[in-house]
This record gives sequence, C-alpha cells and structure tokens, in this order.
Amino acid sequence: MSLAGQMIAFTPAQLDEVRRLQALYPDPRAALLPVLQLAQEAFDFISPDVEQYVAGLFDLSPAHVHEVVTFYSLFFTKPVGRHVVSVCRTLSCHLLGAPDVVAYLKERLGIEAGATTKDGKVTFFTVECLCACEMAPMMQVNDRYEGHLTREKIDRILERLE
Amino acid sequence: MPRLTIDGKEIEVPAGANLIEAARRLGIEIPHYCYHPGLSIAGQCRLCMVELEKNPRPQIACNMVAMDGMVVHTQTPKVLETRKSIMEFHLINHPLDCPVCDQAGECWLQIYYMKHGLYDSRFVEEKVHKPKAVPLGPHVILDAERCILCSRCTRFCDEITKTGELGIFNRGDHSEVGLFPGKVLDNRYSGNVVDICPVGALTDRDFRFQVRVWYLDTQKSVCPGCSRGCNIEIHSNVRRPHHAQGRRVARLKPRYNPHVNDWWICDAGRYGFGSIDQGRITFPQLREGGLLREVTWREALALLIDRLRAYGPDEIGLLASPEMTNEELFLIRRLAETLGVKNLDFQVPPREPGDEDDFLLRADKNPNTRGAEAIGLWPADRGLDAWEMLEALRREQLKCLWVFHHDVTRCGWPEGAVLEALQAAQCLIYTGSNVNGMTERAHLVLPAATYAEKEGTFTNFEGRVQRIRKALPPLGDSRADWEILGECLEALNAGPKPNRPEEVFRALAHAVPAFAGLTYRDLGEYGLMLREVAHGASR
Ligand code: SF4
Ligand code: SF4
Repeated sequence: MSLAGQMIAFTPAQLDEVRRLQALYPDPRAALLPVLQLAQEAFDFISPDVEQYVAGLFDLSPAHVHEVVTFYSLFFTKPVGRHVVSVCRTLSCHLLGAPDVVAYLKERLGIEAGATTKDGKVTFFTVECLCACEMAPMMQVNDRYEGHLTREKIDRILERLE
Repeated sequence: MPRLTIDGKEIEVPAGANLIEAARRLGIEIPHYCYHPGLSIAGQCRLCMVELEKNPRPQIACNMVAMDGMVVHTQTPKVLETRKSIMEFHLINHPLDCPVCDQAGECWLQIYYMKHGLYDSRFVEEKVHKPKAVPLGPHVILDAERCILCSRCTRFCDEITKTGELGIFNRGDHSEVGLFPGKVLDNRYSGNVVDICPVGALTDRDFRFQVRVWYLDTQKSVCPGCSRGCNIEIHSNVRRPHHAQGRRVARLKPRYNPHVNDWWICDAGRYGFGSIDQGRITFPQLREGGLLREVTWREALALLIDRLRAYGPDEIGLLASPEMTNEELFLIRRLAETLGVKNLDFQVPPREPGDEDDFLLRADKNPNTRGAEAIGLWPADRGLDAWEMLEALRREQLKCLWVFHHDVTRCGWPEGAVLEALQAAQCLIYTGSNVNGMTERAHLVLPAATYAEKEGTFTNFEGRVQRIRKALPPLGDSRADWEILGECLEALNAGPKPNRPEEVFRALAHAVPAFAGLTYRDLGEYGLMLREVAHGASR
C-alpha cells in the first residue's frame, strides 16, 4: 500500500467525503467515479496501489476498479507533471492549425506528446475533440480551456505556469 | 408457470426462466456467447436477439424473462440479419487464425459463423493488435486478439471463486481482458475459465497443441480426486498417439450435474490424471531372491490362490481401498466371507490432511469412502482393523496381508513401524495401478486398471451412487480389480466370475440394503442417492 514510502490513505476529512458520496446513491458503487477523482487529487495519479485502496473502500475487486480507471482517459495511471496540457487534434482544430500548436509545444517543452518535462512541471497530451470548436485551435490547461491559440499566446500561457 | 409461444410452439416454463432456457426446452437453440446458466446475465454479446410481438425492435433473449402470453420469434428475417451483423462485428478485429488456434473444432466463432454468419468479409483496414500467448497462471494462457469480450471468465472469477483476478480493461476496440497488475490466475478452480471461454482466447496450457480436438474420444466418468465425485468427461487420444508421445488421456472436462458439481471441477481434479499413463505397473510380478520377476496372470493367480489357501483365516488380512468401486468392494467382502477372514478394513490415514473448501473440494481424497462404509468393509466380529493388522504382522501373528491400492509406506502412520511390519510379513500381496513403496516390498504384485479403464460405481460423500465408464483399455496386462477378484472367487469355488460389473452391482443391490432397488439404468446421467438406511444396518 505504499508508493515511494508514502502510505496510500485518505485523510479523515477525505474519508468523510467518501462516505458522503457513497450515501448519495442507492448502490454505493455509483460513487466510484467521484471517489476516484478525489483519489487522483490526493495521490496525483491512480496507481494499482491506489486502485486496491479504493477497491477496499467499496468492497469491489481491484480488477473492477482498474476496469473503470482504464475506461476513462481522464484518470492518469502514470505520474504526470504539476500541470497538464491537452491539445485537441480533432477536425476543426486540425484544420485551423493544431499540428502547428503541437509542433510548437514540442519545441518549447523539449518533449514528445504524452511525456513530462524533466523538471516535472508540464505533461502534454494530444486528445480528441474537447467540444470547443468555436475557439479552435484550442487546448486544455489543467481545468481551463485556452483557445484561438498562436505562438505568442502559447508563450504567455506557459510563462504563467509555476 | 408462464405459458408462452416460441416459433409457433406453446410451452410452459418455470417462473423466472429466460427466453434462451425457454426455447431450449422446445429444442430451439438461440445462439449466444456471454450467457451462461451458471453466471449472472451480462447482455454483452448481443447475439441472442429475438423478436417479440408488440415490440418494435429485437431484444436480447438472455435478459428477457419468459412471461405469460409472450409470442417470440427466433427465425424472422430481421433476427437472422441481426445475427449475421453481430457475427461480423465480433469478428472484425479477430485474427482469423483458426489453422494455428488450439480451439479450432470446438470454437463457437467457427460454429456460429457457419450457422449464422456466412457473410463475405468487408474489413480491409489494419486490425487492432493485442497481447498474444500471455500465461495468466499455471494452467491458463490468453490470446487477447481472439477474445470477444463476453466477460464469462471475469464473471466466473467474480461470482464463483470470488477471487476477482480478471477484468476487461480500456475502452472500445482497445478493450482487452487481463489480470489486475501483479495478480496471477491461480485459484483452485482456474481451469474452468478455459471451458467457458467460447473461443480460443483462453486455452489450457497442459492440453494445447497436443492433439486436435476432433481426434479425441470422450467418455463419461466421475473424478476420483475426492469424495465430492464431480462428474467429468475423459477425453482420450488413441487415434493419434504419435501426436502426444503416447499420452492417452488428453484432458478431463467437467460434466454438468446439478446435484454434485454444476458445470465446474477443481484444478486438482482436472490435472490429476497423470497417474493413468505414467508410472504404471503393467504386468504381474513375483519377488524371488529380492528381485521382482514378470509372471503371467495364470501363474500369478495360481500363486495367489495357493497363498490364500496356505494360511488360516486368522493369519490373513485384507486391506481394501476407498479408491475401488462399490462392485469391487462388494467382491472383497464376499472374498472375506468365503475365506472366513475377519481382518478386514479399508481406511488408512493420509500423510497430510486433504485440502477442503466450501465449494467442491473435500478433505477426504477418496472417491468411494461412503460406498465402503455402506458395504461394510469393516473388521468382522473381533477381527483386526488396518493398524492392528500391521501390528499383528510385526508380531508374526498375521502371516499374509493383501493390500489394495494403499501405499501404506507413505501414509499418516509412522513409517518405521509400517516398514517393520511389512518386513515381517510372510506373504505381502499388493494390487495397485502405480509403482510405489508397496511394489518395492510386496512378494506378489498384481497390476490393476485405473478408474479410466473400467466400469463401476462410486458413492460420493453425500451418498450419491454414480457410474464410471471405461474410456481406455487397461494399460499393458493390468486388469480391473473386479476381474481379479472375480477370478479369485471362482478359483475358490465361490461362484462363477462375473462378466460385467453390472452383474456384481445387481448382486450388491440385492445383498446390501443401502443399495436396494438401484440399477445401472436408473442411475442414469446424474446418479442416485443410497437408500436411507439406519446407521449400521448395512454392516
Ligand atoms: S477471454 Fe474468453 S471468456 Fe474471457 S471475455 Fe474473452 S472470450 Fe469471453
Ligand atoms: S472437487 Fe474433488 S471430485 Fe471434484 S474435481 Fe476436484 S478433486 Fe475431483
């Protein structure tokens, strides 16, 4: 149950939140997704150890939790940087310059899509449609959508990241 | 009980039956992959679509409970077209590698493609590739490209063994069956996932690539691995012996019996058939000057009779075995009566306590303890039990001991004392199937057929009498115990030798109240319970 020596366990406050979420549904298992989100916030990414821990909170098999985690692309199964940048590469964005955005990010960050910068600051992914064609080409930076991207705008966004 | 109409035929079915089971009762087969009567309903494969009157779209039959007045159609153009499309969908990313797949010949993709597919492949794109030949555990190997994601294997591990090793990970056409990271599929029942996997995704590491399944012969039998008596099929390879280096038993498969094992068997039973083909005693042997010499059955039997006549009844002991059939045990009882021998027993404690759980496995690793009890293979008034016989041997009061199947040199008794006793025997006769500590010591060794090589019945721990059948000829010169005992009794003028175990069973049913009224024919597929008898009445 440990990762790099660190115990995988929610704080009492987080556990209260788990119980609250489970109580919302007739079948407590329905709370699995929000609890996994909580776990991702708490432990940065969902390792098999985290899956096992969460499975214990639900009396599910760890394999079942792994099914859910791997079904959704927004759960990270490997460590990511402090910031996550996801560039849309679907049609509208593609036509309006997503390939340039990707090429520029690779150059600025010095990494390929899917990788994390050496200092652990940024992970960047290419993803399918984020449902914001009106601001193509666009990307998601942590919880924010950033659209109408240009090289200058990308520079400014990256500079803001701690 | 709901009454419904399927393809124009009316039928009444038990409440709660789904449409697949309802149709099956009419002999109508609704094709399906994910539905299995022993598992929960998944509704995953979509192949069991049928049309219901007053319903706009086809419905899956597995998840539809039969209701009064339902009118179901399983053969409409819409149903047939739906099946065909679903077959095409299941096979889109399948590698179509039947020539090198061990499932070929018993694969439900092959069977249903021929019955319900028969379309021309339209898929020209690159197929999705997935892990191949991945060992999941000691017995099972996975080819994820051949998997149709029916989830039978994952449900088995969730619902039957409750070990939860397997899951279906990722999404869409990248979904694949696999183990939770770091887990191994090594529960006591893991082999069953191979049986229920409808395709070549899960295959048996022990069986695969030995022989094509269409060369196998099958015979119904009962697992002798413990006192549960799970129903099995013995799959033997006698037509292509060169394909498996002469190994005759290719595999064991569970056989459905709702009273005993449902659809399942344990791994210990499934893979415990090695002794049928390995380490066998294949001819009668006589010890002379410390060495065993091969003799003919004629010589061996003459010697046997000579010995049994040479000693007084009090100097002879008979140690039967709960591995033997009811028929054979009955003949031993008759032999004891004929000779007037009172030193009679069948139980020897195992070296280690047997594995037991709350599912199938029983601690008693003998298939017929209950039968031996019912027939009464106990010491007759003031006769010696098994341990006392050994002690009497050591004291040279007992001179001649005939042991069936037990290797008393490897049991729960102190080895030193046992060896000392055997050493002191004037005449030690051993009847068994495999070379062991007894064959090293016996003066006369009689080779016995295994359970796979003879007919008979076992009585399981609950008292269910079930038939075993002959899947193979006895190896070498070995003979079934009932034949050996029959010859012996005839030579002792105790009646003509039986021609078939069924004759012995008839006599047994006549003589032992617990078996009264039972016949081979009535035992049927699932066996029958012993007549309830007051304890001790059958002794
Ligand atoms: S491996 Fe076999 S049983 Fe398991 S999901 Fe795939 S096809 Fe079904
Ligand atoms: S539970 Fe017993 S009888 Fe059943 S398969 Fe296993 S060993 Fe054989």
